[in-house]
Amino acid sequence: MASSVSSQQDHQVLVEANSSARILSLNRPKQLNALSFQMISRLLELFLAYEEDPNVKLVILKGKGRAFCAGGDVAAVVRDIRGDDWRAGAKFFLKEFTLNYLMATYSKPQVSILNGIVMGGGAGASVHGRFRVATENSVFAMPETALGLFPDVGASYFLSRLPGFFGEYVGLTGSRLDGAEMLACGLATHFVPSAKLAMLEAALCIVDSSDPVIISSIVDQYCEQPSLKEQSVYKRLDVIDRCFSQKTVEEIISALERELVHKMDVWISTTIQTLKKASPTSLKISLRSIREGRLQGVGQSLVREYRMVCHVMRGEVSKDFFEGCRAILLDKDKNPKWEPSKLELVTDSRVDRYFSKMNTEEWEDLKLPTRSKHKLPLYAIAKL
Amino acid sequence: MDRAFQRTKILTNHLLQSSPSSPAQIPSLSSNACLDYSPPELSEGYAFDIKEMRQLLDGHHVADRDWLFGMMMQSKLFNPRVRGGKVFVSPDYNQSMEQQREMTWKRIVYLLERGVFKGWLTEKGEEAEMRKFAYFEAVGLFDHSIAIKLGVHFFLWGGAIQFFGTKHHHDKWLRDTENYLIKGCFAMTELGHGSNVRGIETVTTYDSNTGEFVINTPCESAQKYWIGGAANHATHTIVFSQLNINGTNQGVHAFIAQIRDAVGNVCPNIRIADCGHKIGLNGVDNGRIWFDNVRVPRENLLNSVADVSADGKYLSSIKDPDQRFAAFLAPLTAGRVNIAVSAVYQSKVGLAIAIRYALTRRAFSVKPNEPEVLLLDYPSHQRRLVPLLAKTYAMSFAANYLKMLYVKRTPQSNKTIHVVSSSFKAVFTWNNMQILQECREACGGQGLKTENRVGHLKGEHDVQSTFEGDNNILMQQVSKALFAEYVAAQKKNKAFKGLGLEHMNKPCPVIPSQLTSATLRCSQFQMDALCLRERDLLKCFVLDVSQHQAKGESKEHAFIMSYQLAEDLSRAFSDRAIFQKFVEAEATLAAGSLKDVLGMLRSLYALICIEDVAFLRYGYLSVDNAAAVRREITKVCSELRPHALALVSSFGIPDAFLSPVAFNWIDANSWSSVQH
Repeated sequence: MASSVSSQQDHQVLVEANSSARILSLNRPKQLNALSFQMISRLLELFLAYEEDPNVKLVILKGKGRAFCAGGDVAAVVRDIRGDDWRAGAKFFLKEFTLNYLMATYSKPQVSILNGIVMGGGAGASVHGRFRVATENSVFAMPETALGLFPDVGASYFLSRLPGFFGEYVGLTGSRLDGAEMLACGLATHFVPSAKLAMLEAALCIVDSSDPVIISSIVDQYCEQPSLKEQSVYKRLDVIDRCFSQKTVEEIISALERELVHKMDVWISTTIQTLKKASPTSLKISLRSIREGRLQGVGQSLVREYRMVCHVMRGEVSKDFFEGCRAILLDKDKNPKWEPSKLELVTDSRVDRYFSKMNTEEWEDLKLPTRSKHKLPLYAIAKL
Repeated sequence: MDRAFQRTKILTNHLLQSSPSSPAQIPSLSSNACLDYSPPELSEGYAFDIKEMRQLLDGHHVADRDWLFGMMMQSKLFNPRVRGGKVFVSPDYNQSMEQQREMTWKRIVYLLERGVFKGWLTEKGEEAEMRKFAYFEAVGLFDHSIAIKLGVHFFLWGGAIQFFGTKHHHDKWLRDTENYLIKGCFAMTELGHGSNVRGIETVTTYDSNTGEFVINTPCESAQKYWIGGAANHATHTIVFSQLNINGTNQGVHAFIAQIRDAVGNVCPNIRIADCGHKIGLNGVDNGRIWFDNVRVPRENLLNSVADVSADGKYLSSIKDPDQRFAAFLAPLTAGRVNIAVSAVYQSKVGLAIAIRYALTRRAFSVKPNEPEVLLLDYPSHQRRLVPLLAKTYAMSFAANYLKMLYVKRTPQSNKTIHVVSSSFKAVFTWNNMQILQECREACGGQGLKTENRVGHLKGEHDVQSTFEGDNNILMQQVSKALFAEYVAAQKKNKAFKGLGLEHMNKPCPVIPSQLTSATLRCSQFQMDALCLRERDLLKCFVLDVSQHQAKGESKEHAFIMSYQLAEDLSRAFSDRAIFQKFVEAEATLAAGSLKDVLGMLRSLYALICIEDVAFLRYGYLSVDNAAAVRREITKVCSELRPHALALVSSFGIPDAFLSPVAFNWIDANSWSSVQH
């Protein structure tokens, strides 16, 4: 019995060994490959093993079905916490962030094939890796602020490093990006039409090298330069920079409103509406997180985000996360009642609490796995 | 078998090579033997919470600082460049002087548009003033030129209007200044007079027929010199000038004069020339100004302490010209506070770079075939850098105190502010130059590259020991002020109060004849030693001056002749005052690893002060005790060695504001990083 459960769980991540490449497929297509605790544990186990295995040179990560990965399995986390154990939720994120750190500092190249939905935890499982291949089917978003959470999985590190203040925009609004936009802003490193993915995979399986320059040149052969659609947000960078560079969420919103004074603009008014619908607490801690992440290494960012997520799970400062999950994922009434309900009620000292250590017994900061044993590639060293 | 195979492979490679050998093709031979950059983050641990330490050091507005750092990093105007996979922001100092000035100006416009200067002159109160300090410090970590250009406009021009002007000046100028509708400068220094402001030669008279002041530069030595902003951008200036009313000189007063029109043409009767290329600060357009009987309306006199009536009568509530002048200049201490604080942040940059480099750079093996030794594992290298780290921590706490003293200023605290800001400005800027030089040398040749910052910063900040009061003169003022305190206490037979001199009322501390390690680490002993020196030198100085006076010399001449004691005394005062702030900061902490580390730094700071030659010169320490102090210093240095990375990380300077040599300097210099 036990063995059949575990083998069923093992099926959530399919493994193909193809000469020196390992192809890992996230396999929960009905749930859009949302990461369960088992999947995260399995991925962690596999990545750790591959690092030790000299026969493995390259890891390819992809998703079964129409999603790469729609995020962490938040519904399951909430079920656990409802059982009154926030620590179970914390355990989930501890594993997930450890995996994110391992991917960010991985000694071998990871190629993620982002042929579909990439959201939240899915971004965390791919963007930290060396190669991210977008396609015409890619849909990227960090939708956490609508859910009462904040962009985690190391997003404060990678969003803050996007051009200008695009990261603040993507992280606060949860705006969806397509493959062309992902490539333009740097979330993706390559764009390959989905029709060519099979050939790309085959080529990667015979490359037999961990050298990023060689792998890059292989991917380049299948690469195309997509053009941004007419209405692309990436063409609005000037407005985004002017508004999303403001110091506080309130000032960001008033800057957007000022833009409207001169000229009606559907995109700007939608953006304002989106911000006004999101959890005020989420918006404030997300902005602060991205701003801190911009000045921190990936490890420090994850340690900080782990503190934050533990506060969210424990629900002492705000219970918006549970309310968000109820309204969006469980009851699906799409009408969350945030508490505090207004931005001005979320004081600085409330925000500060998310960034402090948890003052409960037996809680510890995230301990990052030791990385000194392996020779890290240059791009990983630069992230420390 | 394996060996044979490898041998064949090498030979094949060798034979197949048609072009001159490229090392990339024989990785098995090249990469293993070479040095790898090993990031200190992976090997060095943090024994305390560096965020908590940073909060203690920065003291205030940490998130606001980070916002501004991000604002600079995310803009192309701040010249981001990728080295070794990381982004660094720093001006391109290889640009011409004119280009650097234009870039500095563009950066200011960008920050203005993003609302960074909102409230700098129109908002009042402690919170607003402290926030302004925080922003100013953060901008100064990018570049000295931008900080100085802002400092001249907001603190000197804007400050003069605020402090020397009255309501109608405030209403007319402050908001427009904050929005840069006008660009201000501050014309005080002349070719012939700098520190001696009262000796300036510019002359202003009043014409009651037209109700105008007439400002004139009567001779070449009266030309205004080093006026930041004057050469290219400024539209208005504060002019310091003698005011001559009906043939009576009323002393130095300040006037507002326009020097350029809105499109940048120099106004009639104004002549402006450039100060030329400098050893640093080339992003600041320093200029020289001559006034050829320039006429300004009567209300352009900044009339907080004195005014001239429409019919030409001189009016002042303060009759004594000495007091009038002192009251007039007192508010300008903001500049000295800024300089002192800025010097501490530059030292942080230098030390963060040099220590990070020392944690990744190796040199010489102790035994053959052993790995080379990490620079910071040499006791001698620790001895060079770790005491400077302690000094920088001490200065940080003292700087926070100085800022609070300034922000909470009252008419009663003017004297304290003057003495403390003079002392800290001089000592911090001197220390900064010493620290940057040591850090430059500790980075070896890499320290010479402009992109690595540490060497370049010396040229940029050398000026700090001269502007806003020459350091030597400031230190003389410190000893004169202490002299006055001593004489007053004796005359009135009253206890010492203020300037931290209360220890003079207690019995003289005694230094044990044999200093043990435990005693040397005890803060009471450390304080006693520093107080003993200050107390004795103050007595000696007073005695020396009075002996000169007994020979019939004037007090002024006596001060000039007693300069050696004066110098030692002002040093003693400064060291003790700084140490006191360190002790106070430490006392605010609960027991724990943070406090333990600060305790070690505090001891190290005290010991390097006590190591000063004055302790032997005046006999406060025996030769044996002096040796014990030196021994203890090496011990504390080695105990602090494991905390070196955490201590510089706590400075809170973003990686992007350090330099390539502080990170992966091998990758930053690799062939693949060369543009080809």
